[in-house]
Amino acid sequence: MTNAFVRALACGTVLAGIAVAGAASASDNKIALIPGGPHPYFAPWEQAAADAAKDFGIATVDFKVPTDWKLALQTELLESLAAQGYNAFGIFPADPVGINSTVAELASAGIPSAALAGCTQDPSDVSFCLGTDVYNSAYLGTKALIEAMGGKGNIVHLAGLLVDPNTTLRVKAVETAVAETNGAVTLLQTVADTDAQEAADQKINALLGAQKDEIDGMIATGYIPSVVASKSLRTLGDKRIKFIGIDDDPIVLEAIKDGFVAGTMAQNPYGQGYIGAYVMDLMASGGCTVKDDAPWVKTPQTAKFIDSGTLVINQANLDTYKDDLKKITADIQGKFKDTYLNCQ
Amino acid sequence: MSDDAIRDAPPRRRLSLGGASGQIGLLAIVIGFWVVFSSLAPGFLSTFNLFNLGRSLAVDIVIGFSQMVVLATGGMNLAVGSIGVCAVMFTGFLLQDLGLPIPAAMALALVLGTLLGWLNGMAIVKTGVNSFIITLASASLYLGAMLILTKAVPYSELPAAVGAFGRLKIGTFLSPLLVIAIVIGAALFVLYRFSTLGRQILAAGANPRAAAMSGVPVDRVIVFSHGLSGFLAACAGLMLVARLGAAVPSVGGEEWLLPSFLGPVLGGTLLSGGVVAVVGTMIGAALVTTIRSGLLVLQIGNFWLQLFLGLILLFAVFVDRYRSVYAERRSTRQR
Repeated sequence: MTNAFVRALACGTVLAGIAVAGAASASDNKIALIPGGPHPYFAPWEQAAADAAKDFGIATVDFKVPTDWKLALQTELLESLAAQGYNAFGIFPADPVGINSTVAELASAGIPSAALAGCTQDPSDVSFCLGTDVYNSAYLGTKALIEAMGGKGNIVHLAGLLVDPNTTLRVKAVETAVAETNGAVTLLQTVADTDAQEAADQKINALLGAQKDEIDGMIATGYIPSVVASKSLRTLGDKRIKFIGIDDDPIVLEAIKDGFVAGTMAQNPYGQGYIGAYVMDLMASGGCTVKDDAPWVKTPQTAKFIDSGTLVINQANLDTYKDDLKKITADIQGKFKDTYLNCQ
Repeated sequence: MSDDAIRDAPPRRRLSLGGASGQIGLLAIVIGFWVVFSSLAPGFLSTFNLFNLGRSLAVDIVIGFSQMVVLATGGMNLAVGSIGVCAVMFTGFLLQDLGLPIPAAMALALVLGTLLGWLNGMAIVKTGVNSFIITLASASLYLGAMLILTKAVPYSELPAAVGAFGRLKIGTFLSPLLVIAIVIGAALFVLYRFSTLGRQILAAGANPRAAAMSGVPVDRVIVFSHGLSGFLAACAGLMLVARLGAAVPSVGGEEWLLPSFLGPVLGGTLLSGGVVAVVGTMIGAALVTTIRSGLLVLQIGNFWLQLFLGLILLFAVFVDRYRSVYAERRSTRQR
């Protein structure tokens, strides 16, 4: 407990130090962080926006949510905000290809954008993509699941929206991790389109009702199926089926604590919003551009990717993982300007 | 009643093309909103916003037309969005995978849209099942088939000319997409106002039994209207391809349902059939697009938008009901 407190204090000091340094460059910029639609994953962006505005002295950093998870609504929101004078955007694309034309039009009007939490598909005019390496996250999660199962058995993958290209990457990652077991682990089924409450309830409960005894492990790569599966396993009282979820919803964390869930893949939504607002402020001020020769990670979607950090939460680090994420955030932000930007 | 009888009917007794007075009232409301929004939010009249508003309006108008032509027959098409996204992805396949020239790819996508609409129409007249059920089923069928065939992978490497057309401006802010929507509207106006086929459609929509007894090929006009609806849905899909410069599977679908009904019903098209309002549909779409854009520019909470759209739809339904009752009373008095 004492160690956790000291770590938290240390992280707080690092962030505060960076904040004080950043506050010296107060700006008139109006920045908006825009998710693809309403989703609990993005809830930390609101606090991240408020903190970034305060810490870096930015005139406005707003968190604006399209009313539904639809490209047209996100596009309209972006266009209307640009018409109101917002001059930089951090965007989770509602569609990684469809958003590109809007981003290109914003860029031609001198308004920079960054993809946060999810990338656009190259070629794109977004400056960079800061997010979870979804392939790596799903791969590591599946490896953790296989380890929890003792290296053998049958697993099921609870995947997100079919029309989301990230789902394709996650499906490939799970398949790769399973293939590496040389037949010891079998992927029974990939249940897709589960990242909505009603669909997740129906599909996961039907799956457990019909095939509970054949399933040895499950991995969810969407926020909502992760929560629903955690609740279902608790209701069933089943600790035999090993489950790896994603994100840190309190229901999932409680299930880890009580042993119904083996672990969950933590992402860093707060860090994505906080760092995204900080960098967009630098770029909107006109003094900074992205370096072409920076150590970008190349992914199937983009050549300018930065991993915002991922780690497995289990019973061992349940109390300390937030400090680890804060450390990752402070580390990325502290190095961002020198590593990825050319500033005058 | 024969074809000649419909053609020869005196103008005042002709099947209605929507009340002009209602459309003027609607136009006044649109102008009122423009005055309010532009005075409260200067960004509303910026060329950036006007250009984007025009492009959204163009797509909404054509989506509205796609529903209107089926409403004219007393039916409905819940598959407009699914047909639209099928046309979108088919265009992407033809341009990116097969490398066809743009005009050929677009023409084939329009043919596909027409074919899917025609299938709906055939299923309706051959089975006698309500269009609501048939198109509800086909909406899932078409969307599912599209997802299976494309694996939901978008086509992002279309010829640059496609996206360039979507970004093109006539003058400072007028999008050519809006011009296309107006041209389509003019063609539909001519169809319903001046052609025998158009009046046959309206007659079949107003009273199918009477129309059939008068010699109107009711089944044929229903199939034609659904084919036309599919064609127009594909047009809207192609406009989106130009707008986005890519073919993505997340457009269309259920997203089109609300605008497809709002424009026509606000504009004066009766849900019960027999009356279309081409100009009214355009003004109705303009009202919805204006309110949507205005509320966003005014920074009224995004979630209020849904509430307002719901209220507008409810208002449109009440107006539609009022119009039906009024038309019925007037018809009784004239007899």
